[in-house]
Amino acid sequence: MLSWEYILQQLFNGVVVGAMYALLALGMTVIYGILRLIHFAHGALITVGAFCSYLCFMKLGVPFIATIFIVIAFGAFTGIILDVVAYKKVVGGPEVTLLITSLGFYIFIENFMKLVVSPQPYPFHPPEFLTKIYSNGITFRAIDIFTIVVSIAIMVAFQMFIKKTKMGKAMIATAENAEAARMVGINTNRIISIAFIVASAIAAITGFMWGAKYGQISYDMGFIAGVNAFVAIVIGGVGSIPGAMVGGFVLGMLSMFSVAFLPPGFAAFRDGIVFFILIIILIVKPSGIFGQKAAI
Amino acid sequence: MFHLEKNRTLLAVIALVVLFFGLWVAKATLSKYVVYIITLIGVYIVASVSLNLTNGYTGLFSLGHAGFMAVGAYTASLLTFPVKLRTIFALSPLPTILGGAEFQWPFLPAVLMGGLAASVLALVVGIPVLRLRGHYLAVASLGLMIVITALAINLRDITRGSIGINSIPKYTNIWWSYAWALVTTYVIWRIVNSSFGRAMKAIREDETAAQIQGINLLKYKLLSFAIGAFFAGIAGGLYAHHTGAIRPYAFSFNLTFQIVIMVVIGGQGTISGPAVGALILTALRYILKPVEESMQIYGLIELIYASLLILIMMFKPEGIMGRRASRART
Amino acid sequence: MLSLEAIYVYYGVIPAVRELSIHVESGRIVTLVGANGAGKTTTLKAVMGVLLPSQGSILYEKEDVTKLPADKRVAKGIALIPEGRQIFGRLSVKDNLILGAYHRKDKDDIRKDMDWIYCLFPLLKEREAQIAGTLSGGEQQMLAVGRGLMSHPRLLLLDEPSLGLAPNIVTEIYDVIKEINESGMTMLLVEQNITMALKVSDYAYVMETGEIRTEGEPDEIMKEERILEAYLGE
Repeated sequence: MLSWEYILQQLFNGVVVGAMYALLALGMTVIYGILRLIHFAHGALITVGAFCSYLCFMKLGVPFIATIFIVIAFGAFTGIILDVVAYKKVVGGPEVTLLITSLGFYIFIENFMKLVVSPQPYPFHPPEFLTKIYSNGITFRAIDIFTIVVSIAIMVAFQMFIKKTKMGKAMIATAENAEAARMVGINTNRIISIAFIVASAIAAITGFMWGAKYGQISYDMGFIAGVNAFVAIVIGGVGSIPGAMVGGFVLGMLSMFSVAFLPPGFAAFRDGIVFFILIIILIVKPSGIFGQKAAI
Repeated sequence: MFHLEKNRTLLAVIALVVLFFGLWVAKATLSKYVVYIITLIGVYIVASVSLNLTNGYTGLFSLGHAGFMAVGAYTASLLTFPVKLRTIFALSPLPTILGGAEFQWPFLPAVLMGGLAASVLALVVGIPVLRLRGHYLAVASLGLMIVITALAINLRDITRGSIGINSIPKYTNIWWSYAWALVTTYVIWRIVNSSFGRAMKAIREDETAAQIQGINLLKYKLLSFAIGAFFAGIAGGLYAHHTGAIRPYAFSFNLTFQIVIMVVIGGQGTISGPAVGALILTALRYILKPVEESMQIYGLIELIYASLLILIMMFKPEGIMGRRASRART
Repeated sequence: MLSLEAIYVYYGVIPAVRELSIHVESGRIVTLVGANGAGKTTTLKAVMGVLLPSQGSILYEKEDVTKLPADKRVAKGIALIPEGRQIFGRLSVKDNLILGAYHRKDKDDIRKDMDWIYCLFPLLKEREAQIAGTLSGGEQQMLAVGRGLMSHPRLLLLDEPSLGLAPNIVTEIYDVIKEINESGMTMLLVEQNITMALKVSDYAYVMETGEIRTEGEPDEIMKEERILEAYLGE
């Protein structure tokens, strides 16, 4: 059971799942950096993206490339709505209000999906060319490669954006000190909106990949995803963008390994284990791997 | 002054009498279903008033309340479970220290044990977790709830896993429910108006300032957390003996969220707020339930809950019963 | 150039600035002095638009900018060098300067301004690529001034530029302040170090608990030592 092949297989699965967590964590940490808010509703965007893909590709037969664009656009759109309708009104208020509103939005979107779509899970079939199975020591599908490649591409593109463009630098500045940012002429409201758009679009695409990986989508798929993204951020160090990405991969592999090496029948513990990891990290090294803040 | 004091006690006694008379009338005249709901409201009041101590008065945003309710529910149910039915339901008999194989606990002690178990867990978990603040605490407590649910599902020998336990004797009636609601409210009220309460409010307002004043943060946070958990456990026990059946998924995020909404919409940091919230939201739920079922639009109730919450957060964040605190913002 | 007419600025329910009226003429350096908590920083923030007054009006070059948000005021030519420097510690020195010119589109002029700032502060050129958070206090202050200048302002607001700096650095900074003023820049200066401030100023206001206690030319203010003693505890 503990053959090399098995270990490599789990490692590979961990990387695929980790890539998705990394993308989610990235979006969440960008928003956290600017708003100091754990955007609970972010997880719900996976659900939105997944169902949007389902609708376009499986129900309406829209070609794959177009579907991807539509999903990105719809994700961005949802992000704007959340920003304008939700957070703009409560930003600047007490932290608790922000938290609760964020939670409220998650519940809203989750139940909206449940109501509008269905309480039952739907099977999810990605396009033919992504389902090809390769076996060469380890078994993987083309969708896995797709996930890893796209994730890395997005992460690299994002890093370029942050480091090289004026707007990216403005984002870092706003995250560090919003008041000073306004003093140099940065329209911080617009920066926040852009953060929401980018993060939400990324999350929507991740929803597609998630659905393709697990073969089914349901209205509550965003909950555990969102919570895991948070744990990934803590592992990597809150406030750090590379930290979020590294944290995502670490979490992906940890959760794969724990399931692989746990006695059978304890699969339900996987989510519990994620939290044990979280609590241990928060006790031992709260600033995470790339931690920037010593105190939480 | 003396007159006022005497009058207040008199007023309280009169109010109590009126309340219980009202409940008696309700039980005698209204349908079983409505009485069921009214009883349930009482249980939710226990849960929400206790959560208010932790969240509203001490400022610890805990999302783990449902987990403590689960602990209380399972503990109480396993203790009161009828001996005759144990083998049928594959539940192991009670160990000797808890009374032995021929014993089933009476209602009150069992519920109290449930509360005790929950508060012990809160103390143990609280020591590491309560050092966290804000969203970290929120997610960590959420995690606690998930871990408890996972344990409930996996420790099949004790809890019967995801099937849950049914045929729990339905001891909870309207009297138990509201007696506990009153006890909870009274206890929380006394705490809030004592030096403990002042310390907790100080922590809520500004932890650093509180520390400088010599308040031992961890001690008061733990106290608040554990007391909140105790009554959550009680609520869980009451709930289990009201519905007669419990499953791990009943104590999920949705339940925590419901209680949180009751507290927030009713008014965090007020005594009557959570009760008002419990009343409004439970009533709303049962009014809308037939709509949800007949039109097959599941999720409507939670959607409305969430919308209400968002609206309150935007326009009246202090809740229905709350008064806006005018704070100087720097 | 700048005119504050009876403004009130509140923190919650507490008025930090009450019925404040100040005038700054083009090309002059005007100073606000006063003890901690007098409302000086609040006044600057109100001019910058980071805080909005609940009563009264702010006129800049005859235009009513009272309710204009901060980022739009930068485009009008107002810049604030805030108290405590507040440079973007995570970005490089160069990036901080680039961000200072955020609202500008004229690439060549931006380049010219950056060269000018490197002339004023040669140290910044040396440390161009360094992460701003690792600079010393004095260097950060230079960067803060440079960043403010990058927006090509006509009115420069400086909040306690000498705070926490060694005396020789303070002299350097004030030499630069004089130099910038000589090239035509209007300035509104807030300082606790009254001696330094009154040396460079054309006019001064003495503030106490949110109001103006007295105003006048620097030598007059210096003469009224008793007042200074009473208000500033010297």
